[in-house]
Amino acid sequence: MLLRRIYQFMMIYGLGVLCLLALKMVADLSDYVIPGLDTLWHTFREVAWRYTLDVWDTLRVAMIGQVLSIGLALLVGIVGRQATWFGSFIKVAAYNVQAYPIVAIAPIIFILLGDGFLSRLLIAAMICYFPLLLSVVGIMSQPIPDIEHFYRQTGRMRWQLEVKIRAFENLSKLTTVIVGSATLAMAGTIVAEFIAAGAGIGYSIRIALYQSDLAKILVALFMIGITLSVYQGVLERAGHWVKQVWSG
Amino acid sequence: MLLECRNINFRYPGNEALLFQELSLVIDTPGFHALFGPSGVGKSSLAKIISGQLTAEQGAVRYHNDGRVLYGYNLERLPGWSSVGRHLERVTPAHHRSLKEALIEAFGLAEVMDRHFSRLSLGQQNRINLLRYLVQDFNALIMDESLANVDEKTREQILLTIKEMFPDALFLYISHNVVEVAAFCRQILVLRGLHKMPRVVTVQGQDRMKGREIDRQGLQQTMLEIMNAA
Repeated sequence: MLLRRIYQFMMIYGLGVLCLLALKMVADLSDYVIPGLDTLWHTFREVAWRYTLDVWDTLRVAMIGQVLSIGLALLVGIVGRQATWFGSFIKVAAYNVQAYPIVAIAPIIFILLGDGFLSRLLIAAMICYFPLLLSVVGIMSQPIPDIEHFYRQTGRMRWQLEVKIRAFENLSKLTTVIVGSATLAMAGTIVAEFIAAGAGIGYSIRIALYQSDLAKILVALFMIGITLSVYQGVLERAGHWVKQVWSG
Repeated sequence: MLLECRNINFRYPGNEALLFQELSLVIDTPGFHALFGPSGVGKSSLAKIISGQLTAEQGAVRYHNDGRVLYGYNLERLPGWSSVGRHLERVTPAHHRSLKEALIEAFGLAEVMDRHFSRLSLGQQNRINLLRYLVQDFNALIMDESLANVDEKTREQILLTIKEMFPDALFLYISHNVVEVAAFCRQILVLRGLHKMPRVVTVQGQDRMKGREIDRQGLQQTMLEIMNAA
C-alpha cells in the first residue's frame, strides 16, 4: 500500500515534469520560464533539506487539524445521525456549509488571529472538517438492519452499540474518508501558508513564486507529494490494522 | 384465543393498493404453527405487523396477556467483532444459560462457538441466529424462513427439539416447504392472493413430535389441503 502510493506519485510527478520539458522544447522556452533537468537537480540539492523541514512543519499542522476535524466530525456525526430535528439541522447545515469555499474565509481568520500557527491550524481543520462531517453523518445515519434488528427486537439497542455496529460495518469507508481528508488538511494548510503565514512549505512556495523560480516550486511539489503519499499510506495501513484487530 | 389479528388493513407508504384488507386470523393454542403462502403474498409483512414492527392502518393485533412476540429472519447477521460464542454469552439472560448450552448441543453448534459469524456456512449462520432468539424471554416467536439454508435432516431435528423444549410458547414458522409445514405444524395459516377471500385459510397439520411416527396418508391429505387453499 505504502510503496504503491509512493511509486504511483513518482510516476505522475515524472510524467508532469516530462510534459513541462516537452512544452519547453516545443515552444522553445528559456530556462528562466521552465528550468532544465540540470537546474532542477541543482535546485533540489540546494533546497531539499530546507523544504523537507518546511513540509514537516506543514504536515504537523495538517495532522493536528485533521485529528481535530475527525474528532469533531465523529462527535457531531454521532449526535446528528438520529432522525430528530437536531439531526436534520446538522445534515442541512453541513451540506450547505460544505458547498461554500471555506478558503475564502481565510483572510478573515488571518485578520482576527494573525499569521501564526493558530490561523493555519484553523483553516486546515475547517477545510477538511465539512466533507468529513458529511461522510460521517451519512455513515452513522445509515442503519444496518440485518444486524440491528435483533438488538431492537430484544430491547438491547443502545446508542453506543448502534454507533459501534455502524462504524464496524463501514470501517473501510471510514478509512477511505480519513485518508482523503489528509489531502484536504494538507491543501488547507498550504493554502493558509500561501495566503499569509510566515512558515511552512506554502510560505516557501510563495517566496519561490515571487522569484518566478519554477525549479523551487517543482522541488516543493515533489516534497509535498512524497510526504503526503507516505502519510496516506500510513493512514491506510493503520485503518487496515484496526480492522484486523477489531475483527479478531 | 392466544393470538388474534382482527380486520387488519395495511398498505406500504407510496402504494395505493392495500396489501391486507379486513384480514383476520386467530391462533387458539400454543405450539408450532405455520404461515404459508406464495412469494409476495405478504407473509413477512403480516409477521412484522404481528410483532409490532409495522403498524396497520386499521384493525388490531392482540396477544394473550400482552405477551412478548419476537420476529427473526434468515438474513440476519451477528456483529463481526467477536466470536459467536462470546456474542451468545452476552445476549443470553443469566437464567437461560443452561438452555443455551442445551440448544448449542441439540443444534450441533458446539464446534463453531469460537468462530466469527462471517466464517460460518449459511446453515450454521441460520442456526446461530435462531438459537439467540430462543434463549430470550418470549411468548411467541415468528421464524421467517429461519432454517432456509439448513439441510433437511438437521432441520427436522431442530424443529423436533424446539417443539419438545418450548411446549408453552407459540411459534409461527414461515416456510415455502409444504411437506415440512404439513408434517411439523399444528395449524397452517395459508395466506392467499390479494383477490381471494377469505385471505387466510387455516389447515390442520400433522404436528409431528419426537418419538411419534407420522401417518403418511394424513400427511398427503394435509399437503393437498394446503395446496388447494393456496
